[in-house]
Amino acid sequence: MITVQDLTKHFGQTRAVDGISFEIDTGEVVGFLGPNGAGKTTTIRVLTCFHPATSGRAEVAGFDVFKRPDDVRRNVGYLCENVPLYPDLRVEEFLHYRAMLKGVPRGQRKSAVGAVMERCGVLEVRRKLVGHVSRGYRQRVGLADALVASPSILILDEPTSGLDPNQRRRVKELVRELAIDHTILFSSHILAEVEDVSTRVIVIDEGKIQADGQPKDLLERSEGRRLTVSAALSPSEMAGCLRGITGTRDPVFDSEDAGFSTVSLAVDAGVDPRDEAFDRLTKASARIRELRLDLPSLEEFFTDLTCRESTDDSAPDRETEA
Amino acid sequence: MGVILATVKKELISYLFSPVAYVIAVVLYFARGVEVYNLVLFAAGSHLDTTTFSSYYVVQGNTAYFFFVLVPPILTMRCFAEEKRTGSLEVLMTAPVRDMEVVVGKWIAACVFLALLWLPTLPILTMLSSDWMLGQTITYGIVASSYLGLFLLGSMLLAVGVFTSSLTDNVLLAAIIAMIFNVMMIMAPGFIHPRLVDWFGETYLVTAFVEQTSVFDHLRHWFGRGMIDSSKVMFYLGGCGLFLFLTVRSLESRKWQ
Repeated sequence: MITVQDLTKHFGQTRAVDGISFEIDTGEVVGFLGPNGAGKTTTIRVLTCFHPATSGRAEVAGFDVFKRPDDVRRNVGYLCENVPLYPDLRVEEFLHYRAMLKGVPRGQRKSAVGAVMERCGVLEVRRKLVGHVSRGYRQRVGLADALVASPSILILDEPTSGLDPNQRRRVKELVRELAIDHTILFSSHILAEVEDVSTRVIVIDEGKIQADGQPKDLLERSEGRRLTVSAALSPSEMAGCLRGITGTRDPVFDSEDAGFSTVSLAVDAGVDPRDEAFDRLTKASARIRELRLDLPSLEEFFTDLTCRESTDDSAPDRETEA
Repeated sequence: MGVILATVKKELISYLFSPVAYVIAVVLYFARGVEVYNLVLFAAGSHLDTTTFSSYYVVQGNTAYFFFVLVPPILTMRCFAEEKRTGSLEVLMTAPVRDMEVVVGKWIAACVFLALLWLPTLPILTMLSSDWMLGQTITYGIVASSYLGLFLLGSMLLAVGVFTSSLTDNVLLAAIIAMIFNVMMIMAPGFIHPRLVDWFGETYLVTAFVEQTSVFDHLRHWFGRGMIDSSKVMFYLGGCGLFLFLTVRSLESRKWQ
């Protein structure tokens, strides 16, 4: 549904997107993660044909975004960051206007607008001016706008930014519902949401893709996993028993409680040391109370990939320019 | 066509909702009132010729300058500057629309609103001409050509306003640039003519150039006297086309970054 190859976008001397490539298949819900200024919005703007890329190729719904922008736009529902809508139109008027703009046939317009208002839960504010509804409702009006022409692809740029927890939950539920019959690419820097909603994440930073895959796979393959072992051994016996397990390092003794010592070890990417640890402990006839492999949270994983304190200050400039 | 219609409809709703439009209407009708007052003073005791009477109220009064310098820029200042400021331009331009359709739609809406603003001034002329007021004869052809000229010039200045609005995200700045532009268009012929004469002498070309580019003179000396010259009509329509084209290019400039 979406294919991006070697996409690069420059703004003057700034390289906002640097040769990224990815593919999104039909029915996937992909979280596009990255800190502010990473290049998310710039990539999304290229995919929605708002501005062209400097080089590279991108196809959306089988249409080249540079050669067939009209066809791309007809197949994409786009929710802009900050949802800038027209405050002097009523919600229903706004959606009718957008349906007309998107070429929804006159005979189907009323039912299409009614259906998206119901689906997005904005029926109760249909007569209100867009400028007078709350931020949460505005976000949902934006989603209704994205859906009104029944596109097969949804591109949502920070759909939950600026919302309170309840509003965020409602938008998340809505995205989950939409995932049933849409291909969705949504950008966010709120990791819990991405973890909740998406089947796959693409992490972008400084214009480059840093990671791409299912959240669980990414975490399992990542650095930062820890093996925690609690067994009836003294700390020194425990150290001797676990020393040299393949792919483990940096043991940290957490506690000693009623003859049980607890130790945690850093585990290298792609290694599962649990079997070896179990064998060694059983050979030492130690009673095992706990043996578990902790995955890092997506937040830790994200921080690990994108931590760049030295350039943090310049990040907003890149996004603003984008 | 659907995009243009949708844009016209939406923009007209925005105009009707905007308090600025009502302020403009009040100022316009006040200025028209001043013209009526002048006309009554002018006509009292004397019998004006029908041409002067028919065109004076519409285009010959001094408030026409004030109207053309101020009103089109204020009407159009929000067209794109506001969209850029709020970010809704991105929402608009990522819908399946062409830049040209949006530009034309916004311009047509401004033209329609301008026409709506002027419409209520028409019955006043009829009322003034009645026997119980001034008892003047109206030549409706002159009135019609005056209104046509007014509409054409207004449309051109609205196109200028739409263009300046696309240059910036500051609504006030867009209006000011358009006003400066309009003042320059009024003053340019008077300013340029003596210099051209100094450089090239009083030649036919110089006279023709100044005459053809005097946007207000077309209205007063041609349309205001009941003469609809196709070259003047084309001048105004060409001006509309030029500035709308420039607006489209200005919007496309986001793609050149």
